[in-house]
Amino acid sequence: MKHDEAYELLAALSLDAVEADEREAIEAHVLGCPRCRSELDALLDVAGALGNSVEPLPEGLWSSISSRIYDADDDVHPMPALATNVIALDTASPRRRRSTMTFVTACASVAAAVIIVLAVSLSVESNHVAKLQRQLASNSYAAAAALSAPGHTVVDLTSSTRQNEAEFVLLPDGRGYLVDSQLPALTSGHTYQLWGLIDGKPISIGLMGDKPTSVTFTVSGSKPTLLGITVEPSGGSPTPTNAMIASGTVTD
Amino acid sequence: MEDISEASDAQLVTSIGRYSEVALAEVYRRHGGAVYGLARRVLNSSVEAEDVTQEVFLRLWNQPDRFDPSRGSLRSFLLAQSHARAVDAIRSLNARRAREIKDASKTARSAYDMQHEAWDLSIADQVARALEALPEEERRVIQMAYFEGHTYVEVAALLDQPEGTVKSRIRSGMRRMRNVLIEAGVQGVES
Repeated sequence: MKHDEAYELLAALSLDAVEADEREAIEAHVLGCPRCRSELDALLDVAGALGNSVEPLPEGLWSSISSRIYDADDDVHPMPALATNVIALDTASPRRRRSTMTFVTACASVAAAVIIVLAVSLSVESNHVAKLQRQLASNSYAAAAALSAPGHTVVDLTSSTRQNEAEFVLLPDGRGYLVDSQLPALTSGHTYQLWGLIDGKPISIGLMGDKPTSVTFTVSGSKPTLLGITVEPSGGSPTPTNAMIASGTVTD
Repeated sequence: MEDISEASDAQLVTSIGRYSEVALAEVYRRHGGAVYGLARRVLNSSVEAEDVTQEVFLRLWNQPDRFDPSRGSLRSFLLAQSHARAVDAIRSLNARRAREIKDASKTARSAYDMQHEAWDLSIADQVARALEALPEEERRVIQMAYFEGHTYVEVAALLDQPEGTVKSRIRSGMRRMRNVLIEAGVQGVES
């Protein structure tokens, strides 16, 4: 869609008054057009003001939302951004205190995994082409592009039984992609969760789903010194509740 | 430990990214009424508005990184989500159901106006005045699009006007509203 055409429809878009195909076309344009993006943001604020009245919330609505948080197991597994300025909030709700492993134990587990594994293989030129081919074959173009980007880092996660359990590529700007995975499919009600070790603490990077194939995430702030994966209940956990099944150090 | 009630919206969303249900509850406490209120107004149905509210907060839980504080307030972001889902729900209804909603909304609208609690009366008042100050033809197309869930193409057909005219009226009406709100000192609408 041309700029003028998109610009003309921004006000209608801010009111959700465009057809679905128009919305897609406008949003695609807005992504690469700072002027339209600024205009749309301002219009969305006006639309927000227009609809900004509060009604008393129905009783029980929060309970419904809270209970569904842990039931959600979508096919899409977005990766929440890693926190940079984390405030001290009490994240441990009673329902989440089902861990069989303390925080300290989890950290120790991570450290132990590092000691046991010691097998961190960084990308080397000899297998670079093979990785690119694998990625292109699996249509993970973003991961393939990342493998060719300057300054990328490849992190191999190994388990006690297998080398290359999973492989990630990290870019200098914090974006990361799953390059390859040998992780077996999990039973219903479980998900793989990716963790980054920062300042000695495992911080959740995001959920990977029950059979990871394509995973994208962003790590902002401090770069983790280690990546690790645990199996968690669907919906994920605020801290690891199980031992790391695979891990790998991140080397510059 | 920092008092959660003093945390900024951006800090709360960051904590939601770390699976803090407490942070999500605080966001719900601050903005849930607005999210629900808008969905109910558009849908004219408490049950469907509850569904929309659930969707909005579950989406925030699952995809907190979709909120970009540099692009606007959390409330605007959540209201945009609420409105989009409410409109989707309206458009998925069949014609008979849509007619029922339209008829019912004529009587429910006044009840809403009497019962609703403005989150900030001065801002609500400013917005109402800005809307009222618009030329009738601009106010009408914005109301039909925003509160009745019609696309500009549908509005054009319903009013028997050219699509280009409706597009222009929506655009000029929204800009006029923005200018009035900026002049009135309402935060968050500056470009």
